[in-house]
Amino acid sequence: MLNEKENTGTKTKADKKTAIIEIKDLHKTFGNDNHVLKGVNFTVNKGEDLVVLGRSGSGKSVTIKCIVGLITPDKGEINVFEENVLELKKKELNEMRVRIGFLFQSGALYDSMSVRENLAFTLRKHKRDLNADEIESEVLEALDNVGLSDAIDKMPSELSGGMRKRIGLARTLILKPEIILYDEPTTGLDTITSREISELILDIKHRRKTTSIIITHDMACAKLTADRIIVLKEGTIQAEGTYGELEKSEDEWVRSFFE
Amino acid sequence: MTLNLKNTFEDVGNATLFAARFFKEVFIPPYETRQFLKQCYAIGYKSLPLVAITGFIMGLVLTLQSRPTLVKFGAESWLPGMVALSLIREIAPVITALICAGKVSSGIGAELGSMKVTEQIDAMEVSAINPYKYLVVTRILATTLMVPILVIFADAIGILGGYAGINIHGDVSFYRYITKIFQSLEFLDIIPATIKTFFFGFFIGMIGCYKGFNASNGTESVGKAANSAVVTASLTIFIIDMLAVQITDLFF
Amino acid sequence: MEKQSGYTWKLGMFVTIGLLLFILAVYFIGKQKNIFGSTFRLTSSFKTVSGLEIGNNVRFSGINIGTIDEIQLVNDSTVVVGMVIKDDVREFIKTDAKASIGSDGLMGDKVLTITPGIKSQKIVENNAQIASLSSIEMSDIMKTVKKSMDNVGVISEELAIFSHSMNNGNGALAKLIRDPGMANAMDKTLNNLEKGTKGFSENMEAAKSNFLLRGYFKKKEKEKEEKLEEAKEAKEKKEEQQEKAEKEKVKTK
Repeated sequence: MLNEKENTGTKTKADKKTAIIEIKDLHKTFGNDNHVLKGVNFTVNKGEDLVVLGRSGSGKSVTIKCIVGLITPDKGEINVFEENVLELKKKELNEMRVRIGFLFQSGALYDSMSVRENLAFTLRKHKRDLNADEIESEVLEALDNVGLSDAIDKMPSELSGGMRKRIGLARTLILKPEIILYDEPTTGLDTITSREISELILDIKHRRKTTSIIITHDMACAKLTADRIIVLKEGTIQAEGTYGELEKSEDEWVRSFFE
Repeated sequence: MTLNLKNTFEDVGNATLFAARFFKEVFIPPYETRQFLKQCYAIGYKSLPLVAITGFIMGLVLTLQSRPTLVKFGAESWLPGMVALSLIREIAPVITALICAGKVSSGIGAELGSMKVTEQIDAMEVSAINPYKYLVVTRILATTLMVPILVIFADAIGILGGYAGINIHGDVSFYRYITKIFQSLEFLDIIPATIKTFFFGFFIGMIGCYKGFNASNGTESVGKAANSAVVTASLTIFIIDMLAVQITDLFF
Repeated sequence: MEKQSGYTWKLGMFVTIGLLLFILAVYFIGKQKNIFGSTFRLTSSFKTVSGLEIGNNVRFSGINIGTIDEIQLVNDSTVVVGMVIKDDVREFIKTDAKASIGSDGLMGDKVLTITPGIKSQKIVENNAQIASLSSIEMSDIMKTVKKSMDNVGVISEELAIFSHSMNNGNGALAKLIRDPGMANAMDKTLNNLEKGTKGFSENMEAAKSNFLLRGYFKKKEKEKEEKLEEAKEAKEKKEEQQEKAEKEKVKTK
């Protein structure tokens, strides 16, 4: 069954690996005539970092929001862990969501809570058998992973953009997800911080053996993290390949990203 | 024009579904008790000073304003009863509800609106936490239960204000004042007035949450959500008040 | 945890005070309406309750002692009124007490007043029925007023008829008033009468001087004087008596 899907899907160089995320013919229209997605197809294999490139409004964010069920597509099929997301019941969807981490563009830290509470909050909701000490140690460990242990008692408003992203990442990681979706992880950050975040993504991939989709238009980040890149243009996939392949693409529009 | 009308109906329909979801989710565990208590504290306790000051002034002003007319009719002794009656039946509930609409409803609208805009609500949803339950149910429940209590405070403090108002011109002992008030009060005065405050509270919370939860993306929409929460909540309070008075009038 | 208890006690205090205020209000209003505390019931039947309502006060010697809790129409001319009264005043209400309905001020609420009886020493039982005095109804007052108004009407009507017949009838009185011919005739008659009496008195003077009749006239004059004196005496006596009576009056006062 899996092989069949891989064959019908995109041609990947990792044919022997297991596909963890499969997206088939995804369509989404907002309002009456804002046709954002016009048949997107791709798969992500286990342990792979897929970078999705594309200009603003090309439907990158919509695609990954469809994967976690934040947006319901009009048409198409999304299989995650071999289950169709669109046919899951609320409870099953939530069980699946725990296995997927999602890092939002702004970090999406809960403003009303301190960093500690931000991290503990998610943990407390899902692992009710943990006592206060265990939660505390998990929180510290997650913060340690992103190198921000000393920010534990700060409020989100006291943090810089880069710190917010890292705390957001720590919060995502605390549930130990198998898939992490990054929505523009480096947007709005200076080059050095961007690089730090990119390295963090790479580090997580190696240590946790996670599968990731990274949405970005930061080429430095893409270069560092990407196993494979797809380029979205007006709701369809324009090009696909490794960083090196796309850099030498014949398509001028694709190449323009790399300049 | 037709499109406008359609949009309005759609809005009303969405708000109804939103409210219906509250009744569905409020009974299903897990209960967010901690968050609920926190909201009760923020909505109830933190609004108390504002409500207390307004209540006192209302009682004082109402006494001073009604006094000349009653003196003209030689009915000065009715003043405590009249002030207490109008405070308890109408003024304290409506004024308190309006203040809460201004303070609480807009606060909720802005808070949830900015959470929506900065993707915090999505973040909750994605980490498999029901944001409706965590954010909306607790807030609506808190307003529904706290506004009546605030109204009781406003009643009590308004009556104190009335006492101050009476003592500006005359000298009435506090005991006599309270006795006079309870002589003129009946259950019919406090029970319907109390029941309607629950509705005020529910709609204050519901409208604030609805507007915030449905803020579109963009920082500008946060302000819009807060603003339209206040306007809609205030209008709704008046409409509920009218209905409540009509219904009370019909049955008693 | 510390942070949580920082606000929970404030919230707890807020809610407790709020609910306490509400409960106190309910309690005091209930007390006013005699829902709490020991009470007993009395009933009384009336022909009409003149707009008495449930919740109106019951008074005894001018003190509010309870409220009306039930008004029931038994048949077309009997209304049974039930009242709840404080237990403390029960010892003062005897079995022959009477209930009546009055109003509190001209436009005010109706009140049920219990008037103490005279003879009985027995305290009323719970749920006992006491006698009622028919209340003074505004309509009753209007009835009496109407009766006198009717009488006035009859009188004035008769007066009208009388004056009408005076003006238009042919009776002696009417003629006397209206007919100028009659008036002339009367005038003449009176003139004649005057002349006649003048002539008569002249004749009498002549007769007095006549010796044959002199004795008789003298006697008559004497009698006349005696009579005058008697009248004087009687008058004095009467005045004395009147003075006495007045003095007594003053004394009694």
